[in-house]
Amino acid sequence: MTPLTPLLRIATVSVLAAALLAGCAKDTVRYGDARGVETITNEFGSTDLQMIAEAMTRSLLDAPVVAANNLPIVTVQEVRNKTSEYIDTRAITDSIRAELQKSGRVRFAVDAADMANQKEEVDRQQDDEYYDREQTAEKGRMVGAQYRLEGNISSIVKQAKDIKDVYYKFNLQMWNVRDGLLEWTDEKEIRKTTTKG
Amino acid sequence: MKTIVVAAALAALALGAGCASRKGFEREGFAFGCPVADADVDSMGDLIAAKVAPEGKRTNVVVTEMRCTISGERMKIEANLENDAGQIRRVAYKFRWIDTEGMRAADEESWKPVLMYEKSNHVVTAIAPNSKAVDFRLVYMGQD
Repeated sequence: MTPLTPLLRIATVSVLAAALLAGCAKDTVRYGDARGVETITNEFGSTDLQMIAEAMTRSLLDAPVVAANNLPIVTVQEVRNKTSEYIDTRAITDSIRAELQKSGRVRFAVDAADMANQKEEVDRQQDDEYYDREQTAEKGRMVGAQYRLEGNISSIVKQAKDIKDVYYKFNLQMWNVRDGLLEWTDEKEIRKTTTKG
Repeated sequence: MKTIVVAAALAALALGAGCASRKGFEREGFAFGCPVADADVDSMGDLIAAKVAPEGKRTNVVVTEMRCTISGERMKIEANLENDAGQIRRVAYKFRWIDTEGMRAADEESWKPVLMYEKSNHVVTAIAPNSKAVDFRLVYMGQD
């Protein structure tokens, strides 16, 4: 057997050590605080979503149209993502809707995204002879929204050699469907900076 | 003897009148607009001690002032955070809302990060999520 050259010996030992380490390395799984401050990257994250949803909900509950306790009927429309990254804006509006619904101050009508499911269920009840005719949902009984919520999220990203700065601006508006008047609007700004080293 | 009694009564009356009109303590059970129930709160420092709960990593950012009011049916709070240090400090805060039974009046809020410049103040504001929230705690921790 030919003896190994010193270089080949080092390479062999390194490969063996790496294989051994890879075999020994264990993934650790831990539960975390779902509402904790998350700063893993400066892309849009859970803390941003939660802060926006909370700020918008509290502000909207203070709006005269809601604070007057008239139980306004609202529908949620699109929040347009004008940033350069993928953001699930539906997750933001879902959180806002859940918080508002819990407050008991706002009622929600079916929104455009859920309309197909709503229609399908009414049709199913109407078309199926197994349902009690007296209790099936009838067509033409749905209540239309008095107000609609829509908004935008935009960002400004600046990047230099060792620094990346992201500024997010979330804007939400509540429009009166009947007269087209803007009843309430608010904004939430977030700035995140990553520095290398 | 009679003179002393009269003088003492007058002094007590004057003291009582002084206390009743002391700014921030006009309503019984409230200090600076914030609910304190039976807690022994006699100053802004006492109120802060009763309402502020540092958690996790300690920081030298402190709460120096706090005021409450009712907006509609919901409590509104303003608290002043002060960074007396010569360096930037980062903290995170949230409010815990308590109902009349001493239970949580709403789900736990998310931690809200705040950057504080050197020798600066930052006012945090909060509106209760619902009218069940009749008391609160301001919780904060260092993020450096």
